[in-house]
Amino acid sequence: MTSENKAPASGSIVVVGGGISGLTTAIEAAEVGYEVYLLEKNPYLGGRVAQLNQYFPKLCPPTCGLEINFRRIKDNPRIKVFTQAQVEKVEGTPGSYNVAVRLNPRYVNERCTCCGECAKACGTEISNEFNFGMDTHKGAHLPFEMAFPPRFVLSQQIIGTDDAQKAKAACKYDAIDLEMQPKTMNLQAGAIVWATGWEPYDAGRIDNLGFGQYDNIITNMMMERLASPNGPTQGKIVRPSDQKAPQNIGFVQCAGSRDENHLPYCSYICCMASLKQATYLRERYPDANIYIFYIDLRTPGQRYETFYKKIKEDKKVFFIKGKVAEVIEDPATKNITVVAENAVTGEKIKQTVDLVVLATGMQPTAANTKLPADLKYNPDGFILNDYEKGGMFAAGCAHKPADVVSSNQNATGMALKAIQTLARK
Amino acid sequence: MSETYLVEPDVGFIKEVGKLGGQDLKKCFQCATCSVACPISPDNKPFPRKEMIAASWGLKDRLIGNADIWLCHNCGDCSTLCPRGAKPADVLSAIRAYAVTEYATPRALGKMVNDPSKLPILLAIPVAIFLVVGLILKMFGVNWLNFAPTGDELWQADYISNYLVDIIMVPTFFAAIGVFALGLKRFLADIHANALLEGKTTQKKIEPVGFVQALIKTVPTIMKHGRFTECGENKERATAHMMVLFGFIGLFIVTGAFFAAEWVFHIEGPYSQINPFKWLGNLGGIALIIGGILMIAKRMGQKDQVTSYKDWYLIGLVLLLGGTGLLTEMLRLGGMYGLMALVYVLHLIFVWALFAYTPFSKLAHLVYRTVAMTYAEYAGRK
Repeated sequence: MTSENKAPASGSIVVVGGGISGLTTAIEAAEVGYEVYLLEKNPYLGGRVAQLNQYFPKLCPPTCGLEINFRRIKDNPRIKVFTQAQVEKVEGTPGSYNVAVRLNPRYVNERCTCCGECAKACGTEISNEFNFGMDTHKGAHLPFEMAFPPRFVLSQQIIGTDDAQKAKAACKYDAIDLEMQPKTMNLQAGAIVWATGWEPYDAGRIDNLGFGQYDNIITNMMMERLASPNGPTQGKIVRPSDQKAPQNIGFVQCAGSRDENHLPYCSYICCMASLKQATYLRERYPDANIYIFYIDLRTPGQRYETFYKKIKEDKKVFFIKGKVAEVIEDPATKNITVVAENAVTGEKIKQTVDLVVLATGMQPTAANTKLPADLKYNPDGFILNDYEKGGMFAAGCAHKPADVVSSNQNATGMALKAIQTLARK
Repeated sequence: MSETYLVEPDVGFIKEVGKLGGQDLKKCFQCATCSVACPISPDNKPFPRKEMIAASWGLKDRLIGNADIWLCHNCGDCSTLCPRGAKPADVLSAIRAYAVTEYATPRALGKMVNDPSKLPILLAIPVAIFLVVGLILKMFGVNWLNFAPTGDELWQADYISNYLVDIIMVPTFFAAIGVFALGLKRFLADIHANALLEGKTTQKKIEPVGFVQALIKTVPTIMKHGRFTECGENKERATAHMMVLFGFIGLFIVTGAFFAAEWVFHIEGPYSQINPFKWLGNLGGIALIIGGILMIAKRMGQKDQVTSYKDWYLIGLVLLLGGTGLLTEMLRLGGMYGLMALVYVLHLIFVWALFAYTPFSKLAHLVYRTVAMTYAEYAGRK
């Protein structure tokens, strides 16, 4: 880039959240010449996308998309990435913000080679939240193989225990520093893009769908982890109760979505996610029957519609128009009977399946944790963009439920909005 | 679709259902959660999802002659789980109120019973009847209406003779039965036709013997409130309903017994407080009041339930019947005869309203629900 073409960078941009939207905003802004601070609360970048097995509708693994972005970050000195970083306070006005950030200690420095000796030395098993608690990891662990930055992390709960000492002793590269302390830093920025993303809706709150009560009822995000080669079962989709291959699988669409008692809105992606997950199952188990219970199947756009039509051709995938409102577990077999009314035939259906997948929706992160900035929200916790005021913008699923494609488009747009704030200053 | 069906929406019907408590009907998006949530809905053509779309489309004919609306006991399980707040329980309740007015002749009276502004007229009717009949009889020397009786110990019959009460109430009661009989004839034909159309019955026609057998099977379920207790949300509601139902049954027995005492055995009241019928009467009155209060408390505490005029009308009637009845007795025992007479007049107004307006009000459910449940039993609807 020649200096004549360089944008008049007069200030930096803070991007909060290192998922697919935050990555996109950060990279797009940096690649036209702006300084970007990318803040991520987890020890790794990639967010929810990193947990997926495949993208729809192309069914390619998300790591390839993430890798390209990680490469662009590595190659771009204008992006400063901070993991385990949380925004504590935002003060100021558009064009001039002061952002207080807390950096939680990783206890592992840049000398880490990911050899894994520290993890082997640890004894304590910790529930693996990356896999929704379906397995455990050690007190020292790498979040997942493709994690960026590629560096182990020590869980806070082993600090001060023998495990921490053992991990430190096992490290040949002097990469473990148990003296690391939380730090606070202040960033000066002209614009802030909030790409704080989403959380799967807590399925345990949907009383009548049995999640948390019956072993063989899982959520769609759990299914992604089960299907992932780097998941708790190395990609084998098995029932949690007995690790057996399921023969009949039921998908419950709109589990807690489009429901005043839970999330009143449509999460946009769950129909496509279930159709995609049907392909995971049909590929692994050619004899398996898939029952998809839905209110309406929403596959917006020509590409998604084509995907849906293709799945519909599969004679082993049954679509039933009617929402599941009751689940019954057979205590002996741990099979689940889902109950719905087929609204087309007017018959009540009681379908017994081996595994139930609840297509739960996305809840904006800000619904459960208010962000420390002067932002406006809709009643569901999605951030409303105030373009009149400018300065701070929400991108991706912090703003509305969206798939990866729309999130990226939106995140690119918000990069431009952030740049405009700086350019007008 | 091999069958074509021309939808002819009755917009007036949709509006009326809204007024009767089904105002959230149009929020329904047909997810069918309600049909599964309902603990008493059958597996074949369950309700209330199909009723919700029929009501949305204004398909009146598919609803008023549909026995399923009466199988619903309004527990509200469907409304609790409804993701849209469309309140199917209240919509069915509104459709029932509409159906009641459709089957009761004259239809105009049904409309009046559902219209709060017409309540004063409805209550003035018994006053007029008593005055007119009483005064006409007076002209012929029959002194059954006395505005200022004298004596040390008075009772309500000294003001308004029991004979006057009976010659008005008894025909009113039988007139109500007649209205029910006319309505039921059409109702039975309609629910059977609807069941045949929707494939809800195994019976080709209604055989009287089989139907009576089904009735005999159904009555114990009603008495035990079997359907109520299957509900998840509002189980306690069965207690209140049981108190009111048994209160009414008890009072009906007492009224019959005292009628016989008066007309057959010529034993004049007031009867002794230790008379077992008196006990039953007092208990019945108390049951009405407690049951009525429980019903109000329940409705006030229920956020996802609409309480409209038709509901307040019935609960109000229950409370006022019990209240004025017991108060008359207490004022008599307390020697406050003037006030007693006044309260007794009110009591008679409510009793007459109970008899006369039952076929037109929510209370008609006692007939229609019984028949619908019997039909479901007869038709093998499970």
